[in-house]
Amino acid sequence: MLTVQNETDYYASSEGSRVVAPHLGARVVVFAMTRADDGMDLFREQTFEAETVEGLPAQSELEAAIRKLGKSLEELRKAPVTEPFDGPAILSGRAAAVFFHEVLGHRLEGQRQRGDEEGQTFTKDIGKDILPTFLSVADDPTRTKFGASWLSGTYEYDDEGQKARRVDLIDNGVLKTFLMSRLPIASFGASNGHGRAQTGRMPTGRQGNLIVTSTKSEPESALRRQLIDEAKQQGKPYGLFFEDISSGFAVTTRSSPQAFQVIPLVVWRVYVDGRPDELVRGVSIVGTPLAAMKRILATGDKSEVFNGECGAESGTIPVSAVAPAMLLSEIETQKQAQGTARPPILTIPGADTQAPAHKEAQ
Amino acid sequence: MNPIRSLAVLAAAALLAACLSAPALGAAPQTRADAEKDPILKAMLVELDRSMTQLQLPGFAKPFFIQYRIVEVDDFTTKAEFGASEGSSHAHQRVARITVRVGDYKTDSSGGRGDGALELAALDDDPIALRSALWAGTDQAYKSALAAYAQKQAALKQVQTPPQADDFSHEQPIIALAAPLRLKLDEADWVRRVALASGLYRTDASVNAGQQDVEYSTAEFHGRVATEWLVTSEGVIVRKSAAEYQQSVGVGTQAADGMRLDRSYASTGNALKDLDSPQAFAQHALGLIASLTDLRKAPLVEEEYHGPVLLSSDAGADTLRYLLAGSVTAARPALGTQARTNGPFASSYHARVLPDFLDVQDDPGLKTFDGKGLVGAYDVDDEGVPAQAVKLVTAGRLSNYLIGREPVRDFPQSNGHGRAGLTGAPRPAIGVLEITAKNGLPDEELNRKLLEMATDRGLKSVYSVTTMGGDLTPRLLSSVEAAGKDMYVANSFGDVPQTVLAPALLLDDVTVRRANEKNEKLPFYPPPE
Repeated sequence: MLTVQNETDYYASSEGSRVVAPHLGARVVVFAMTRADDGMDLFREQTFEAETVEGLPAQSELEAAIRKLGKSLEELRKAPVTEPFDGPAILSGRAAAVFFHEVLGHRLEGQRQRGDEEGQTFTKDIGKDILPTFLSVADDPTRTKFGASWLSGTYEYDDEGQKARRVDLIDNGVLKTFLMSRLPIASFGASNGHGRAQTGRMPTGRQGNLIVTSTKSEPESALRRQLIDEAKQQGKPYGLFFEDISSGFAVTTRSSPQAFQVIPLVVWRVYVDGRPDELVRGVSIVGTPLAAMKRILATGDKSEVFNGECGAESGTIPVSAVAPAMLLSEIETQKQAQGTARPPILTIPGADTQAPAHKEAQ
Repeated sequence: MNPIRSLAVLAAAALLAACLSAPALGAAPQTRADAEKDPILKAMLVELDRSMTQLQLPGFAKPFFIQYRIVEVDDFTTKAEFGASEGSSHAHQRVARITVRVGDYKTDSSGGRGDGALELAALDDDPIALRSALWAGTDQAYKSALAAYAQKQAALKQVQTPPQADDFSHEQPIIALAAPLRLKLDEADWVRRVALASGLYRTDASVNAGQQDVEYSTAEFHGRVATEWLVTSEGVIVRKSAAEYQQSVGVGTQAADGMRLDRSYASTGNALKDLDSPQAFAQHALGLIASLTDLRKAPLVEEEYHGPVLLSSDAGADTLRYLLAGSVTAARPALGTQARTNGPFASSYHARVLPDFLDVQDDPGLKTFDGKGLVGAYDVDDEGVPAQAVKLVTAGRLSNYLIGREPVRDFPQSNGHGRAGLTGAPRPAIGVLEITAKNGLPDEELNRKLLEMATDRGLKSVYSVTTMGGDLTPRLLSSVEAAGKDMYVANSFGDVPQTVLAPALLLDDVTVRRANEKNEKLPFYPPPE
């Protein structure tokens, strides 16, 4: 699906704000799904984002990516179902980016620190360590690119007419502030330019470009060696490599707040005995994924960008998340309880070798 | 004009006569080979054959009936308010609706909502993409049908009274291939025209003195062409196409006491040439705008009135549509009951439902009236059954129902009224509903009679209704004293387009009540200069 947007926001307030701000965006979303023989639904999704259509990948590049996606689904369909696991794991940069957006980012939205209905996970944690000290997290909507990649969470002014600014949320593991709209909370009275909303909705504190940085980065080969060492140490036959995880980003539960959970899509077993890596399906992360974030041991030295659409109470807005790969000492997974429906009875047209039963009359 | 919001008319009942309709269709002898020249039909037939011969879960029933219906809708809308365009939208899609039935004609898997499956289908004619959409929907519909069939078997064991009719009718399959229509519009011109119409309240010298009281002024143009391809495992192959166009305008204000006063007008037809010319449309719009000023000054209707009311043919068409359209259709009643059908006329077969000088028929074959195209007309319904003219009310008595392929007691066959919107399952609906009066009177005569009735009853004034709005709740119309001779053509734009042809009605004893709605505050400021 191709979406191209050329929006101009006009904002005037009785306080004297006068803002005209453009919002450009082009996105191609490729979504494919299949059903394994045991009825498990499997899907993969990939988005390509740019400021304008000219920035989108060339046809050949898109085709290659779609082929890769299709191949990955084919492999997933045949992959064995996971076993419950509790041990070390690596999140790829892309997976880590989604993970931080969903698990951490949403919990740092200002309005979630007030009201009885909110979990208020971090409300009283200002000035405290909530991540390992080598990690810092900022949200920077003023940044338009990371490397060669366009960041879709970019904006100049938020939807309350406030100038966008970089906000250092977590500095060397220590929580500094929240993503603030003009709705004050007990500890912060002013906006920091993160009041965002879909047209027609009431803005709330939202993410723009969430960027995770690390001072303890290592080449990915070293990270992999460490994973194997950690698994050995814990007496596990393998560690897990989360290549891709999904979220509320571009999937079905687009506007539902419960999208803060993460769904692993592509997970590999990395064996300690040198066997080749093995793809598994049906992995689900158990317990609070937040606990896993405190068990990050090291990160990779290359960051990956995830661009997507994020849905929450104030609507669907474009966001980005950027993170390096991460090694976690422990993550607990179980078998996913999903999908027992039968696969299609007949093969998809075009793939069937049988001639149509009817003799065509021409 | 009076702001009459509801009518309640009481009635008596009696009995008599029935009349069955005669099918009328001069179908050209078309063949499957002709159909297969159409790449869409060809793809549909290939997949239909594959599904009928191969689709079966081991140990479960095979489908006994499969229907594929693909509808391509090309739809353009442009809106304006306060004299300027608010933008246009263009939708162009193909939607496939797949119906699978298991069981047999007597008892099958059908019932309730959600029969079948929906898929978006390829807009270009790529056969594999078209078939893939049908394949996905067929798989889903077949599995749902198996589940529904098992549920129905279980439900049948719970009820003492057996179903009053078969689940699905046998019909003669037809092949009917009409040429597809195309939506051809000067979009920019329509954008300009609706903007102009929505601004008349402030640009036209004849009405703009009242512009400070106008709270909204909108105009809209809507054009839509729907082309349908239909195939069934019984051999039906149909291609048909229909167009609808509508330009409309709406204006509103509030009286000094806060009462909302809303007027709207639409010109609707199945060809652009049937719509009002820009001049005629502007005249209608100006009439509405001027009427706001009159309505604002008009006295409030008394709290309750009992007496004669004259409904213009426009108001009559609205009233009769509300009264009849949903009542003259027959749909399967709840399992276990002895009811024939549902709705207000469920038990009225052969009973008196209208005065004896009124006749009602539905004739989708009536394409034009007075040179004006009728949007409710069609040749073949959405179940592949040729449309029939059905005499519904003869001399005031209900003599038939409109029905599709789901029979009810005493009505085992479709009369070609199974109609469906873009996504829904077919259900019985009117096409061109015609209400005619024997000895209809000219308007002057009706007015004279109305005034006579007033004099006879010592009333100082009586009501003459030009147009209706808001919610209507007409009951039985037995107090119709007389009816007009001239027919009003009410074309309704919609997913299932319908037409009502009706005369003016002089009602003997009507209760008119003041609407008594909440009167909201007037705007605090005048509109911008």
